[in-house]
Amino acid sequence: MKKNYWKIKHRDRALLGVLIALVLGLVYPAAAQNRTVSGQILDEEANEPIPGATILVKGTTNGTITDLDGNYSINVPGSEAVLVISFVGYKSVEQTVGDRSRIDVMLPMDITSLEEVVVVGYGTQRKKVVTAATVQVKGASLQKRNNTLPMQALQGQAAGVSIRSNSGQPGTGMKVQIRGVGTIGNSSPLYMVDGIATSDISYLNSADIETIDVLKDAASAAIYGSRAANGVVLITTKKGSKGKAQISFDSYYGVQNRYKKVDLLNARQYAQIMNEQFLNSGGSVSNLPFDINNLPNYTGKGPANTNWLDQMFVKNAPTQNYTLGVNGGSDQGVYSLSFSYTGQAGVVGGAKYSNYGRYNARINTENKLFNDKLKLGENMTLTYTNKNGISDGNQYNNSLRSAFNTSPLLPVYDQNGNFFNTNDSSIHDQNGNGYWNKTEANPYASMVYNNQNATNQQKLVGNVYGELTPVSGLKIRSSFGVNLYNDSYRSFLPEYELSVYAFSKYSKVTQSMNRSRTIQFDNYATYDFSLGEHQFSAMVGTSLYDYSREYVSGTNANIAFSGIDYAWLNNTTNKSLISLISVNGGPMDATGYTNGPSKLLSYFGRMQYNFREKYLLSATFRADGSSRFAQGHRWGYFPSVSAGWVISDEGFLKSASVIEFWKLRASWGQNGNQFIPAFQYTAPITFQYANYNFGNQEGANTPGAYPDRLSNPNVKWETSEQIDIGTDLQLYSGKFNVTLDYYKKSTIGWLITAPILGTAGANPPVINGGKVINSGLEWELGYKETFRDLSFSLSVNGNYNKNLVKDVPTADGIVHGLTNQLYANAPEFYRAQSGHPIGYFWGYQTNGIFQSTSDVKNYTNADGKVIQPNAEPGDVKYVDQNGDGVLDNKDKVQIGNPIPKVNLGFTISLGYKALDFSVMAYGAFGQQLVQAYRSQSGKYSNYTTAILDRWTGEGTSNAMPRVNNSSSNFINFSDLYIQNGNFLRIGNVTLGYDFSKLLKVKAIGQLRLYAAVNNLWTFTKYTGMDPDVGYGVSNGFANQFASGIDLGFYPNPRTMLMGLNVKF
Amino acid sequence: MKKIIRIAIVVLTIGSFSCKDYLDTPLTTNSVVENYYSTPGQAEVGLVGCYDGLQRIWDGGVAFPVASTVMADMTFGGTGAADPDNYKMMDEFDKNVAPAFMNMFEDNWKAYYAGIFRCNTLLMRMAEQDWTKDNARATEVQAEARFLRAYMYFDLVRMFGNIPLLTQPTKANIPQVNPDEVYKLITEDLLFAIENTSDTPYPGIAATDYGHANKWASEALLARVYLFYTGYYGASDLVGLVKSSDALGYLEDLITNSGHGLIDDYSSLWPAAATYEAAMRGDSISANTYAGETNKEIVFAIKYTYTSDYNGNADGNSWMVMNGLRNQSWGKYGYGNGWGACPVMPSVYVNWNANDIRRESSIMAIVEEGIDYQQINDVKEYTGYFTKKYTPTADKDGNSITVTDYGAVNFMIGQFQDYFSIRYADVLLMAAELGSANALNYVNMVRNRAGVTPVASVDKDVIFEERRLELAFEGHRYWDLLRYDNTLDYAVNKIAFSGRVMTAGAEVDKVIDAANIKLTRGLCQIPFNQITLSDGVLVQNAGW
Repeated sequence: MKKNYWKIKHRDRALLGVLIALVLGLVYPAAAQNRTVSGQILDEEANEPIPGATILVKGTTNGTITDLDGNYSINVPGSEAVLVISFVGYKSVEQTVGDRSRIDVMLPMDITSLEEVVVVGYGTQRKKVVTAATVQVKGASLQKRNNTLPMQALQGQAAGVSIRSNSGQPGTGMKVQIRGVGTIGNSSPLYMVDGIATSDISYLNSADIETIDVLKDAASAAIYGSRAANGVVLITTKKGSKGKAQISFDSYYGVQNRYKKVDLLNARQYAQIMNEQFLNSGGSVSNLPFDINNLPNYTGKGPANTNWLDQMFVKNAPTQNYTLGVNGGSDQGVYSLSFSYTGQAGVVGGAKYSNYGRYNARINTENKLFNDKLKLGENMTLTYTNKNGISDGNQYNNSLRSAFNTSPLLPVYDQNGNFFNTNDSSIHDQNGNGYWNKTEANPYASMVYNNQNATNQQKLVGNVYGELTPVSGLKIRSSFGVNLYNDSYRSFLPEYELSVYAFSKYSKVTQSMNRSRTIQFDNYATYDFSLGEHQFSAMVGTSLYDYSREYVSGTNANIAFSGIDYAWLNNTTNKSLISLISVNGGPMDATGYTNGPSKLLSYFGRMQYNFREKYLLSATFRADGSSRFAQGHRWGYFPSVSAGWVISDEGFLKSASVIEFWKLRASWGQNGNQFIPAFQYTAPITFQYANYNFGNQEGANTPGAYPDRLSNPNVKWETSEQIDIGTDLQLYSGKFNVTLDYYKKSTIGWLITAPILGTAGANPPVINGGKVINSGLEWELGYKETFRDLSFSLSVNGNYNKNLVKDVPTADGIVHGLTNQLYANAPEFYRAQSGHPIGYFWGYQTNGIFQSTSDVKNYTNADGKVIQPNAEPGDVKYVDQNGDGVLDNKDKVQIGNPIPKVNLGFTISLGYKALDFSVMAYGAFGQQLVQAYRSQSGKYSNYTTAILDRWTGEGTSNAMPRVNNSSSNFINFSDLYIQNGNFLRIGNVTLGYDFSKLLKVKAIGQLRLYAAVNNLWTFTKYTGMDPDVGYGVSNGFANQFASGIDLGFYPNPRTMLMGLNVKF
Repeated sequence: MKKIIRIAIVVLTIGSFSCKDYLDTPLTTNSVVENYYSTPGQAEVGLVGCYDGLQRIWDGGVAFPVASTVMADMTFGGTGAADPDNYKMMDEFDKNVAPAFMNMFEDNWKAYYAGIFRCNTLLMRMAEQDWTKDNARATEVQAEARFLRAYMYFDLVRMFGNIPLLTQPTKANIPQVNPDEVYKLITEDLLFAIENTSDTPYPGIAATDYGHANKWASEALLARVYLFYTGYYGASDLVGLVKSSDALGYLEDLITNSGHGLIDDYSSLWPAAATYEAAMRGDSISANTYAGETNKEIVFAIKYTYTSDYNGNADGNSWMVMNGLRNQSWGKYGYGNGWGACPVMPSVYVNWNANDIRRESSIMAIVEEGIDYQQINDVKEYTGYFTKKYTPTADKDGNSITVTDYGAVNFMIGQFQDYFSIRYADVLLMAAELGSANALNYVNMVRNRAGVTPVASVDKDVIFEERRLELAFEGHRYWDLLRYDNTLDYAVNKIAFSGRVMTAGAEVDKVIDAANIKLTRGLCQIPFNQITLSDGVLVQNAGW
C-alpha cells in the first residue's frame, strides 16, 4: 500500500525549502568528534512519521533506518558529517550535522512524481518507466467538479479524451471518445473498474474513485485486445491504507437553472409570419389565416401567448451529494468503506418528470496471510438508482422539441383549468370557431402524460481476489469478478386527448424487468527479476468473460387506479381487448438485441525490460476468442511494442540543471473491436409478427416465418492500429511539466450496418469495411509555484485531432447516414465517405439570397443555363458545384464537420493558508453543429426569432430567406442549418475555506466549506441553448457516427452550489 | 528459469478448464435460413411469411389504393387543413407543392421489395431441396409464392415504371430494367400459378383456405396485367407470351368454372354502405347485410384483421383511416372517423345516375345524407363528399367498431376490412373489354345489379364508363385512365382540373396541370433516399 501512502502528498514544497534553509542557517563549525545524532523523519505534508527511511553518512557505508515511529539514531564522525536521508517516493535530503544532536527532517514528496504509480492493464507501473501514452486523473479532481457522473467530471481534464454531452438530462451518459472517432459503430472506450469490465461508469460516485487512468495508445491498451480499439479507461476505487481510521464526510447542495434562452416567436409575431407565409404561397389578402389585431381567444382571458420553452423549464432544480467514508488499516489488512447519496433533478419538467437519484455503498478490503505471502481481498460497489426521465431522443421522441414547434396561440390550460385539448369541440374563440389547428398538441401536457415512468436499477460490481507471492518477485493473482445488474421499469399512460392525432383511448401500464450478469475470471502471474542492471518484469495470464442477459416486459390497458404509483400490471382490468395486451421476454445481448450470451476467452502476456531505468522496452500480446463470430473468424491476435529512453539520465544531460527529467517514448500496437450483436454470421428466421389472417374469422391468424436479416458468415474483428511518439519533460525541479504526444491511429474493417438498398428486402447484416485515420497531437502543460503561504498551479491540456475516412468498400464508397431525422421526411444529411471526416455534414452550399427576378435569371452556369429557374426573389441561392446548371446530389458537398479539431481544458488553482480557489474551463473548437428545431414538413410549426431577419424585399437580407408554406428554402439540407460550434466553458469555479486550521482541534483534519458554480459562463457564438451537443441520431449499435445535431437538445444547466468536506 | 516454468505450470493449469466449446453459444430465439424451408411444413410456414409480406406493402407510406384514388379523376387529395400538402402534391403531379416529401413512397418501396425478398428466398431455398415425395403441395406453395411476387411487381411497375428486377435475394445495387423484363417475369409467374395453384371452385374452398391465391385469382390478375401493359405501352400482346385471346380464354375459364359470381346487393359489399342501407331501410345499423369477406364475388383479397399494434404486428388495414369523414364519426349511418383524404369531386356525385345503387354505396354525401358535419374548417380541399367503400365504421354511438367490439389498439391501425383486389364484376368487365362473345351480357349483368337500365351495345367507352362507376375508389380507375391510350390524351383530358376548392373553410384555387401528367407519364416519384443510397444507379422518373 505504498502507493496510497504516497498519495497523501505535496502541497507546500516551499515550506520545506524554508525549513531546510532554516536548518542550514543554524549550521556553524564545530569540533570533529564521534558523537550520536538522533531525530525523527516525517512526511512533509502529512506531518506523519516515515518508518523505514534510510539515513546514511555521506561518503560512508555507515547508515541506519527509522523505526516504526520514524525515529533514528546514528553515530557521526564529526560536525562536518553530512546525513543523507532518503526514502522511496520522497526526495533525498542532505543535512550537515554541525553541532546538533537532534535532527528532525521533513521529507518532501518526490515532486517530480516520477515515482507515482500508474495503473496499466493487469498491473501497475512507476511513471518513470512507463513507455506508453496514458493519462491519470485523481479522484480528488473529479470530486471537485461536483458532478453527478464521474465522466462528466472528467470533461476537460484528460488530454486526448473528448467528452461531450448526449443530453443535459440527469443521469444520461456522456459521449466519450479517446483520440477521435475510430468507427461508425460504438466508439465508446472499454471501462475496467478494479479490473472488472463494464459498459459505463455512470453508476459510480466520484468520491469513490481513487484514480482514473486512460490508456490511449495501442501499446498500453493492447493488453485488453479485442475490446480496446476505442481506448481503455481504468478506474481504481479507493483503497484503505495503514493507519488509524479516517472518517470523511463530503457533501454539496446546489440549484440548477437554464443559463441561456432561445427565443421563439410570440403570438403576434407568429401570426404575422403565418400570414406572410400564406401570402408568399399564393394566398390572397382577403383570407389571411390570422387577423393580427383580433387573435383567437379561446379561454375568455384574451388571446394566448404561450412561451412553450419557458413552460417546459423549471427554476432552481436541486442537485446534491452526501458521501460518508471510512479508511484505515493495520499491518494485517486495510479497508475502505463508503456510503453516499447523489441526487439531481432535471431543469426540464423538474424532479417529477426528470430526476436521478443514486445510492452507493462500497467496501474494499485486503488482508495479508501467511507472513504476507498471501493477500486476500475484495472490491465491491453496490449501486441503487431511481430514475425517471422525459423523452429526449430523436425528433419524434423529444418533449423539448415539441415546445419549439407548437404555436404560441395554444393556451396551456383551458377555461376549466384542464390541459388545453385542441380537439375539444366545446372550445370556441370569440367568433365561435373551434380551435384553429386541431392537429397541434399541447407539448407540456404531452410531456406530463407521456413521461410518467420510474426506473430502478441495481448494480453490483466487484471482485474477490487472492494474490500469492510464493517467492520474492513472483506474484500469482486470481480474481473472480462479477457485474450484476437488474432494473425494473414501470410506466403509466392516462387516457387523454390533446389533438386529433395525440390521444390515448385507454390508460396503459407497462412493467418490465431486465437482468444481466457478467462473470469474469482472471488469472495471471507476474515475475519481476533482474540480471545485473537489466530489470525484467514478465506477466502471463488468461481471462474468461461470460455475459448474459434476459428481460421480460408486459403492457396492458385500463388501470383500476390512476397514477404511476399504482402502475402495476395487476391493477389493469383489461381481459378482452387482446391487441392492447403485450407480453415479451427473452434473452438479450450487450448490444440490446435479442440474442444469446456473449463470451470471450483470452490469453495474454507482457514483457517489460529496462536497463538502469534508462532504456525501456515493453511488449504485449493478447489472443481473444469471441463467441460473436463464426468458427474460423473467432480468434483475434493483438500485439504491441513500445520503447522509452530517459535522456535526462544520460551523462551529457546530467549537468543540465534546468532539465529535471526527460523521456522519449514510441509505441506501436493493434487492438480490436467486437461489439456487435451475436449471430451476424447467419440469417435468422423470425416467427414474430409474421401472421396472416386466412379464412373467415377475424383475429384467427396463421403463423408464418421469414428471414428478417441478411447474413455475413465472414464477419470478423475490427482492428485499430496505432503508433505513438511522445515525450515527458520536467524542468526547474519539476515546476514545469510537459507531456507531448503525436499519434496516428488507423481503424480498419469497421463493423458496420450501413443503411441498405430497399431492394435487398431485409435488414442488413454487419459487415467489415472502411478505414478511418485519426492523427493528432496531445499536450499537457503544468506549472506550479509556491511562495510563502501562497501556492499557485496552472495546468493546460488539449489535443488536436484530424479525422479522415478512407476506403469505404460499399458499392458507392459511402456509409449513408439516416434519413427522416431533422424533420419528418428529411433527406440524408451526414455520411461517412473517403476523404472526409466521419459523420460530416453533406448538403448544399448557399450563396446568399435572390434579391430580384433578374437575380434569378442571371444566376447561370458557364453555358448560360439558369440554375434555379423556379426560384423567386427571397429564395436561397445554392451553389452549382459541378457547373452543369442542375442542382442535384452531385452538388452537395461537405458543409460541416461535427468533430472538434481541438479540445482544450485548463485549471487554475490558488491556495492561501486555509483558503483555496480554482477555476476550471474546457472547450472544443473547429466543429460545426446542425441546428434543426423546426419541423419543416408542417407549415404551422413555430420559428425562433432568427426568422425575423428574413428577406422581405430587395436588400432586406442576404442570409435568411423568405418564408412560405412549403418551407422550400429549408427542405434541402444546406449550410443554413450549420452553425459554428466553438465554445469555451467555465465549467467550475470554486472558493473554499478550511476552518480546521482556525479551530485547531486535533481530531478534525479538515473542515472545508466551499461555494462553487458549475457552468458559470460559456463563450460561444452558437445560438442554441447549449453548444456542447454530442448528440447524434443513431440506429442501434453499428450506426452511431453522427454527432453535433441539435434537434431541441436538453441543455446542461448552470449550477450554484455549496459544499462541505470534513475529515476526522 | 525454474521459476518461469513454475509460473507457466500454474497459468496453464488455471487456463486448462477452457476448451473450444466454451465459445459456442446456441441461438435460442430463431431458426436460421441455412436450415429452414427444408420440410413441407416449414415451406408452408414460409409461405405464410410471404403473405405477411403482402399484407405489409401499405403499412407505411401511401397505400396503392389511396394513391390510385387520389391521382385519378374522381377525387382530390384532401386530408387535414393543417396537414402538409403531400396528398395535394400527388393529386397535382407537382413536386413543388410539397417539396419536403421526397420520400412519400419509400416505406412502400421497401415493403414491396421486402415481400418480394421473402418470395425469392422461399423459391430459392425450395429449389435447392428434393421435394419428390411431397411434390404436389410443394409445387403449389411455389406457385402461390410466384403469384405473390407477380402481384407485388405489378404494383411496383405500374407506379414507378422503371424498377430494379430481382429474382434472387441480393444486396447488390441493381439498376432499373426495361419494364418489359418485369412484365416478362410477372407473366411467367402468373402462367406458372395458373397451372399449379389450386383450381378448387369457390363453393368447395375450405373456410380456412380463403385468402390463398388460386387458379382463378391468377387468371384474373394475368388479364389485368395484359390489359394494362398492352394499353399503356401500346403493345399488341403481353411480352410475346400472352395474346388477347389467351387473356380472354383465362377469364372465360374463370367465369365458367370458378364458381364465383356477383352477389345480389351491391351495397352489401361494403361495410359502411351496408350500414347506410340498413339505416335507410329504418333498421338498426347493426342489422346491416354486409356480405362478409369471403363472399362469392371476391376472387382475390388482401386480408386484414384487427390485431395490429405498435410492437410489430401489422395485420390491420392501416390505410383505410386516411379516407372517410375527417375527424368526426356519424353513428346514425355507422361512419367512423377518418382523416378526410380523397374528397370526391361534386361533379362525380351530381352526374351519377341517382337510380344507380352504386352512387350511395360509393360516396358519402354530407348534405344529401343529412350528416351534421362540424369539421369543415379542419379539412383540406373539402367538397361535401367523401368516399364510402374503404372507410372506418362506427357503432350507433359513433364509437369505432374495431376498438369497441374487437379491442383493436385504435381506429387508425386497427381497421380490418379486407382489400378486395379482384372482384367478379371486374372479371366480367375485363372479359367484355377483351371481346367476349358475351360482352353485352357481362356488362348488363353488372348494370342490372346496380339497378340501372341495360345498355343495348358495348364499346370501349361504354365499358370504361361502367368500370369507372362499378369500381369507383377501389384503386383501378387511375390505371384504366393511363392504359386507355398510349398517348395519355384520354387520361390527361379526364384528370386535368382547374377550379376552386374549400380549404380550412375558405375557397382557394386548385389546378391539376395537364403538362405535369404528360411529363411524369403518370408515374410516381421514386424515393430520393433510395436514389441517394444507390449513388445514382437508380434514376428518377421525369417530372419528379
